Amino acid sequence: MTPEGRTLRLPRRGGTRIGRADLLDESLAAVLARPWRAALTTLGTVLGIATLVVTIGIAATAGNRIVGRFDQLTATAVTVVAAGTGAPQAPGEGPLIGWDAAERLARLNGTVAAVALAEAAPGTAPSVRANDIKDPSTVSARTLGVVAATVDLPAAAHGRVVAGRFFDVGNVARHDRVAVLGEEAARMLGIVRLEDSPAVFLGDEAFTVIGIVGDFRREQALAAAVIVPPTTAADRLGLTEVGRVVVDTELGAAGLVAAQAPTALNPGRTTEMRVIAPPDLQRARGAVEDDVNGMFLVLGLLCLVVGAVGIANVTLVGVMQRIGEIGLRRALGASRRHIAQQFLVESAVLGLIGGAIGAAVGVVTVVGVCVARDWTPVLDLTLVVAAPGAGVLVGLLAGAYPAWRAARLEPLEALRAT
Amino acid sequence: MTPRDEGPADNTSPRPLVEFESVGRTFDSDPPVHALVDVDLRIHRAEHVAVTGPSGSGKSTLLGLLGLLDRPTSGEYRFGGVATTRLAERDRAALRAGSFGFVFQAFHLLPYRTIEENVMLAEVYRPKGGTAPPRRTRRARAEEALERVGLGHRRGFRPDRLSGGERQRVAIARALLGDPALLLCDEPTGNLDGENTAVVLDLLDELHGQGLTLLVITHDEAVASRAVRRIRIADGRVLAEAGV
Repeated sequence: MTPEGRTLRLPRRGGTRIGRADLLDESLAAVLARPWRAALTTLGTVLGIATLVVTIGIAATAGNRIVGRFDQLTATAVTVVAAGTGAPQAPGEGPLIGWDAAERLARLNGTVAAVALAEAAPGTAPSVRANDIKDPSTVSARTLGVVAATVDLPAAAHGRVVAGRFFDVGNVARHDRVAVLGEEAARMLGIVRLEDSPAVFLGDEAFTVIGIVGDFRREQALAAAVIVPPTTAADRLGLTEVGRVVVDTELGAAGLVAAQAPTALNPGRTTEMRVIAPPDLQRARGAVEDDVNGMFLVLGLLCLVVGAVGIANVTLVGVMQRIGEIGLRRALGASRRHIAQQFLVESAVLGLIGGAIGAAVGVVTVVGVCVARDWTPVLDLTLVVAAPGAGVLVGLLAGAYPAWRAARLEPLEALRAT
Repeated sequence: MTPRDEGPADNTSPRPLVEFESVGRTFDSDPPVHALVDVDLRIHRAEHVAVTGPSGSGKSTLLGLLGLLDRPTSGEYRFGGVATTRLAERDRAALRAGSFGFVFQAFHLLPYRTIEENVMLAEVYRPKGGTAPPRRTRRARAEEALERVGLGHRRGFRPDRLSGGERQRVAIARALLGDPALLLCDEPTGNLDGENTAVVLDLLDELHGQGLTLLVITHDEAVASRAVRRIRIADGRVLAEAGV
């Protein structure tokens, strides 16, 4: 090439540029050049993000667990007790609560199932025997609870029919002499199999056992009771008055059902009924979660600060070790801004890697703890997605000072440094 | 006053590539250090100039000023007719990226990148608004530059697996990738043994033969003797010139 043929590039206004892909390439190459150092550098961020994800995840899971227990058992239970029993009934007046209580309450919003119960008063319950043989050598007669109930009892009391079936509307209408035993009662009476239609004797009345109900999560006393249809109970045992109504409500509907139930049952005599409704747990739950979350958040943030200091430290050491490289890049046309950008992107990449690994470790830990404790893991997806973002933020913050130091270097001195 | 540099008589270019007019560089220390004093210098295109002098004479300061890595504290430096002394830093960076190639004594190769990637680095920072060569053919151009310095067979190597001479040739390939108007070499053979020195100097001669403008800073007479024109400096002043 002749001297005249060489064209000289005149300076162009606006400085130099680096493509986005090039910036990313340069930064990634520098990070991946020392994979072990990168791994150790991200360790702090991994721990910080993992702690954050674990603590928030466990807090949410534990909070949900507390709430879950209240919700399942208490928050959906409403019991209406007839307080006026014992007082002499005025002539011509119907019962305080009729056996149609379940149908009446079913019309209320939020009712899942309802059952009306009548219990033999203590001391008046007939003795229960599994057979008619009077054997003086054994105690065959037992004193068990005798309860008259409507057909929705298993649903309303969260019970499970473990054998046979519960009596139905037909049994009730026909005044059938059938009985359903609570699991415990069946065990005490020695009744296991229902195929041969065993009988129980309540006093002198024989009843055919058609089912066994167990696993009551409400009204657990029913497990040791003999349950009979209300019509039969009225005919043969003198159980006529509904003592209480147990209602299973939808979540959050307990308050409403509790307020409306007495009116629905007997609008004229609401004052004679006592309603047992769950306390409002909304506030307690909020307080528990706030306490737990606040404490754990501080812990996690503390870990993140440690992680940020780690990245800042290693990036600063990297800047000092790469002074020659910084000088070279400046000689090749990099501006101060380009140098700062490179170190910022490098620390952001470290933060991103730390955040992603930390989020993964956190999720695995939360799930692991839940498996070990038999809990249901509650993971906020936003948190899991935001964790790598938080890592990037940590990296950028941590990289700010080293990047500024790198950009401040004079190219000539940087080139001479090595 | 330093002797005026009139340049080789046979050069007919209307304007020198490099013009120093009473350039001085003083470092603000206590007492102030006058690294360069009143230097007048002209370098025309396709020249091969050697700058010699003892250490501390201001050679490296001169190179920094020539390469726009530093600013003079007095005088004016025109490059290709453009006054650079009061140019904004970003414009100086653009000029640096577009017009200069640097070769350093310490090579300044990135140890964690292959030699192609080291050469490709020269195209990462490009002047804005220029017609930058496409990125996807960058590797091909880097390999071409490596062929040009005789290192085509070392493709994929990292610098630590090369001899000193080979490393310096990689650095030269990197400097060539930007197709520079002026190649600035700071003690290019300072870290090399005799054999490697000869190879590198032969390569520089060859590039000069292809029309490249070359300025080599050295304290080694053997290196300086390869140049067509020699400038000697001491205590920040140009002492004497020996041309051909």
